[in-house]
Amino acid sequence: MSSVTIRLPRQGAGLALLQKYGVYLAIVLILVANLLVTPNFFTVDNLRTQLVQVVPVLIVALGMALVIGTEGIDLSVGASMAMAAAVLPLYIGYGFVPALIIALVAALVIGLTNGVLVAFVGVQPIVATLSLMVAGRGLALLVAGEQLRPVIDPSVLALGRGTVFGVPWAVLIAAALVAIIAVLVNRTTFGKQLVAVGGNRRAAELAGLPVKRILLVIYLVCAVLAAVAGIIGTARLAASVPSTIGNLIELSAITAVVVGGTPLSGGQVKIAGTVAGALLLQIITATLVKHNVPDAYSQIIQAAIIVVAVYIQRGKVFTK
Amino acid sequence: MFLSERIGIHAALANPAVTSTRKLVPMALQRTSRSLVAAVGLAATVGLILTGCTNTGTDTKGSSSGSSEQTVKASDGPTCDLATYKGEKIDLKDAVVGFSQSEKEDNPFRIAETQSIKDEAAKVGVKKFISTNAQSTLSKQISDIQDLISQGANVLIVAPLNSDGLEPALSAARAKNIPVITIDRKLNAEACSDYVSFLGSDFVEQGKRAADQLIKGTGGKGKVAILLGASGNGVTTDRTKGFVDEIKAKGSGIEIVAQQTGDFARDKGQSVTEQLLQSNPEITAIYAENDEMGLGAQAAIIAAGKTPGKDIQIYSIDGTKNAVSQIVAGQYNGVIESNPRFGPLAFKTLKSFLAGDPVGQDIIIEDGEYDPDNAASKVDGAF
Repeated sequence: MSSVTIRLPRQGAGLALLQKYGVYLAIVLILVANLLVTPNFFTVDNLRTQLVQVVPVLIVALGMALVIGTEGIDLSVGASMAMAAAVLPLYIGYGFVPALIIALVAALVIGLTNGVLVAFVGVQPIVATLSLMVAGRGLALLVAGEQLRPVIDPSVLALGRGTVFGVPWAVLIAAALVAIIAVLVNRTTFGKQLVAVGGNRRAAELAGLPVKRILLVIYLVCAVLAAVAGIIGTARLAASVPSTIGNLIELSAITAVVVGGTPLSGGQVKIAGTVAGALLLQIITATLVKHNVPDAYSQIIQAAIIVVAVYIQRGKVFTK
Repeated sequence: MFLSERIGIHAALANPAVTSTRKLVPMALQRTSRSLVAAVGLAATVGLILTGCTNTGTDTKGSSSGSSEQTVKASDGPTCDLATYKGEKIDLKDAVVGFSQSEKEDNPFRIAETQSIKDEAAKVGVKKFISTNAQSTLSKQISDIQDLISQGANVLIVAPLNSDGLEPALSAARAKNIPVITIDRKLNAEACSDYVSFLGSDFVEQGKRAADQLIKGTGGKGKVAILLGASGNGVTTDRTKGFVDEIKAKGSGIEIVAQQTGDFARDKGQSVTEQLLQSNPEITAIYAENDEMGLGAQAAIIAAGKTPGKDIQIYSIDGTKNAVSQIVAGQYNGVIESNPRFGPLAFKTLKSFLAGDPVGQDIIIEDGEYDPDNAASKVDGAF
């Protein structure tokens, strides 16, 4: 079966534009609203805060976009973050770089298990990664001795708080990762192969693509990206908190990906849209917190905005 | 036009190697096995790394041998005795004691609480001690308690996950006249009927005392942001009510400029504080409903280039070693304790009750507090 776009009959040029650029439009609208009603919103400090805060969700969403592109899903990203967060302070005694590498490798265990279950054993991605979401965090807590550890290593603290010409390290790393993943998706054979797997796995197999290997690599990449998010989160907090870090981040990441125009049915990956989706979520949260909106309302408002954003894009979401 | 179409189908037709499935299968198998070998190798390497771990971090695990054993603050309400509850006399040394913990032991409070109960059970020398953890799931706590009963528990100590919802477990205990002592969270049920007594802190009072500390520390002036606990949690409601009412009554110069949830989590406390400091730069103090969020706020204050404890004061509730040591360091201003060491008091209560003496239905414990004057001398008693 090949993919087709369903064109709604009454769809005009305006709606088409809205569908394509809806998420960007929403960002602009909310920014303008903040310009009018939120004190101190358009200060350098505040905009920097928003960029720093969006980093973990954004990096996780990049990996999630790849996985969703293969018609998969990864619910275990929070566990990968927790694993990296748990391992980092244990090995910081050996130096910053070794600790970083070991933390990333530890998260690879989760990505590897996901990849093997999905690609080789044939478990559905939602089931495989759901088990890892639970077991992975358990393992992270076990590794950490169920403890919360303050992190005082100066290199780690610099990663969390340091800036280069006023731009925080976390933001620079995120920007670099966005660029790398965008090139991977849009400019490499691997990028084309991964959407081929998501678009039609059977056809990709018949075409001789190494489908299983591609899936394995994608889940590994997703786990490593989540681990980077976990390390940045730990550095920013100056503490390793494996019990709570990245809790429910999978939902924010999936939302960012979908709001950004990547269909859950796979076969497409929109990196720019994913970045925009993550930014949209961030400024919605920031706006609600700054206006002291009670939690219950703020959850409803966030959900409503997301539903509207996805609804507007429904034309693009119908594929196959 | 979609990529899958282009690469998928067209490539399949164009590539002669895959037109024969006979050729395709062995190829795929070879690839599978090679990748699997690589995968297993990687897993083994990682396993070695993980098991060979060394601990260079700061040990923050709670210990129940700390100095601050619980003392009873108030127990003047109605009492309960064995005859009224229709239980049987038994010596604790002959009793099987079951303990049902509610939440995962991944925070200092729960770790210290479980350890304290365990230690005291060993100290008292009960016949058998069985403990379970509901992993923050209500249905698991119900089945945990039912399991404890079927394993022959003569008495139960329960840290309820929620004020409601444990009825099926309680009625199973009731059916066998097994005494149930609840700790730290009070049940919406009838004391001396559905359970024997409740041992715990007065959360409203904790909020009130945090407000008193804040009023004293700030000189009764300034703008305060509240980091609320998890929404819909009774502890959050009580700690908010106690604090807000006391500020209204005694802190007329203090304005509460924001109340936002930090879900009792450090990272959420940090990100919410960052937002609030941007939009309300005039905030002079933070009240966090647990230490974790307070420590998150501290990280946010540092990141904003301000000095925690001086430019912006921080007050919270719990009494963890992490927070109290920050008071000692001058980077934090006050902590109201919520004492988790229920072991000695729970077993003392059980002993009296099982001997036939009346015990209070509501035993409210005395919580300590830490401020810059006493933190250095009391930090070792923090959990």
